[in-house]
Amino acid sequence: MTTPFVLAVPSKGRLQENAEAFFSRAGLTLSKPGGARDYRGTIAGLDNVEIAYLSASEIASQLARGSVHLGITGEDLIRESILDADRRVALINPLGFGYANVVVAVPQAWIDVRTMADLDDVTTEFRAQHNRRMRIATKYINLTRTFFAAQGIVDYRIVESAGATEGAPATGTAEMIVDITTTGATLAANGLKVLDDGVILRSQANLVASRNADWSADARETARIILDHIAARARASKYKEVRTRFKGCNAELLAEAHNRFGVVSPFGGPTSSGMLTLHCPPAQIYALGSFLRDHGADTVSVASLDYVLDRDNPLFAKLAAFLPPA
Amino acid sequence: MTDTRAPEATGTAAWAAALLSSFAQAGYIRAEPPILQPAEPFLDLSGEGIRRSLYLTSDPGGEELCLRPDLTIPVARDYLASASSGQPAGFCYFGPVFRYRGGKPSEFLQAGVESFGRQDRAAADAEMLALGLEATAAFGVTDVDIKTGDVALFIALIDALKLYPVWRRRLIKDFNRKISLAKDIEQLTLAANPTQNEYEGVLAALAGSDRKAALALVTDLMTIAGTTNVGGRTVAEIADRFLEQSTLKGGALPRDALQTINRFLTITGTPDEALRQLRALKADAKLDIDAAIDQFESRTQFMKARGIDLDTVRFATAFGRGVDYYTGFEFELHRKGNGDDPLVAGGRYDGLLTQLGAATPIPAVGFSIWVEALTQLRHQIAARIPGAHS
Repeated sequence: MTTPFVLAVPSKGRLQENAEAFFSRAGLTLSKPGGARDYRGTIAGLDNVEIAYLSASEIASQLARGSVHLGITGEDLIRESILDADRRVALINPLGFGYANVVVAVPQAWIDVRTMADLDDVTTEFRAQHNRRMRIATKYINLTRTFFAAQGIVDYRIVESAGATEGAPATGTAEMIVDITTTGATLAANGLKVLDDGVILRSQANLVASRNADWSADARETARIILDHIAARARASKYKEVRTRFKGCNAELLAEAHNRFGVVSPFGGPTSSGMLTLHCPPAQIYALGSFLRDHGADTVSVASLDYVLDRDNPLFAKLAAFLPPA
Repeated sequence: MTDTRAPEATGTAAWAAALLSSFAQAGYIRAEPPILQPAEPFLDLSGEGIRRSLYLTSDPGGEELCLRPDLTIPVARDYLASASSGQPAGFCYFGPVFRYRGGKPSEFLQAGVESFGRQDRAAADAEMLALGLEATAAFGVTDVDIKTGDVALFIALIDALKLYPVWRRRLIKDFNRKISLAKDIEQLTLAANPTQNEYEGVLAALAGSDRKAALALVTDLMTIAGTTNVGGRTVAEIADRFLEQSTLKGGALPRDALQTINRFLTITGTPDEALRQLRALKADAKLDIDAAIDQFESRTQFMKARGIDLDTVRFATAFGRGVDYYTGFEFELHRKGNGDDPLVAGGRYDGLLTQLGAATPIPAVGFSIWVEALTQLRHQIAARIPGAHS
């Protein structure tokens, strides 16, 4: 009996919905055989895979420990909770949801403070004046410490905040905050502003691999299949399929189409009958269609791609490069 | 994980006993503060950066405790709590300290001396250096590099140049942090603060106007705007610094001030050579830094009186230990030719006891001995490893 391959997925809210939608677009259907309240699930067609539904922060720590192979969680949590993250986990693929910036925000009334350099000066002056350090309310203790150290700022203290961090300056438990923001509206409503160079991290949900998990040959093969699905879908969604047939089509024309529109020709030049299949970025579809017609095409058809299976799998290549040799 | 090297196991015990008794003869009382300490003073004095290397815990009452990461702060706190607080008193210590050092053992031995309350600062400074040399000699290491500096000279220079407060703060901070001082000096000579400011117009309008009136105006505006959330800073503090920016607009560090600072930072040599250069700089630039130079000269005399061969002492105005609590004399003893980790390191930190809660300023100077480094060095010497003296 081989140990199962464990894929960790966020267990609630928007993150769970987005993650499930992401897998489903890649042709991987997650299901909970034990019912909606179950915290274990499966992927249809992949018997050896166990889905673990966990909180996003728990996923980060289990990735660090190696008790799950792959997981979906925010980069902010990875960077915050894993010491030496780049050696213990690899961010395989950013997923395009769960966006949040971790930022340094100070009271708007600090009209003299716009940059981290200003903050450096103000924190030192504050300590000299008040004989105590300025306090930063945050739950991102490690990110804050690392960022401030890189800026050379030392005259501050961290006050751990579990929630409603943006209220700390108004209630007097801290002078400023480090927190996540998506639109900045909550910060503004609390009379706070983000410093010009105060963005610590632009975070989004990521597919993350653990280095310490049990990467048996079976586990690697399972990861390859999962990543193959994801890569095929990712590759497909970057392009539309363009088909046409006309006499004047030659290598020179294809080269021009490649340079001007970012077109690739996955099956080579035109067939003997003059049939041509191209993959074109969606934004360039109309321009390419016009270009082809100008050069003699009577009809150009455009279709969406569901999956494109290339021999190369950039996602698995990334994982293989990260893992210790089998 | 933690490699506990008991003194007995490393042959350090006999040395430590001899050292402590020689410190005792010199009038330094053995201090043995608890290993478990409140974390707050360390975090407050060293900043959040130290949290990464602390072994923290908390008691059921929620108080944050740590294994002592050094002995200076515990010894100073015990002194402040004692009946002799404020009076001259000297302490010596030897024992384990605990810091996460990424790969190296987290528990290691440290010895040292702290001298509190002595007003004869120059003599006390010289005594620390002499005791530090005794400590390495007692360990069989006599061939050491003596590196010294004096941050009080730099501060005196910056004060004498009468710079804008913001530049003064920045230069002193950079000096203490050992980072980017040269870069910062360069930047200050270009137009300060090249970033766009949304209050550009206001600042331009206020530039050159009467400072008191301008301050009142900005303060009023902020008050009228109902600025309540000022995050611990007063409206006056904010207005003051805001106006400071208007004075900096278009201004730059004067060329001659820059030249003086650069010339100052190149001063290096034996104490006597450095003294000559300092006096020459003072005369050429017409600087009022006599008090700091006198203190330096007096300290040098006391070193000589203690039998320290001044030709072996290297002084550099740019030497700083990168720790911002030093306020004057600083020194390090290194194995000959080994530039990195010191065997002994210390200096004057007159601000520490005030920061720990002393009502009036109490002078303080001291040093710590890196027992681990000394032990390794002695093993190398004993084993006659080629290069031990290179």
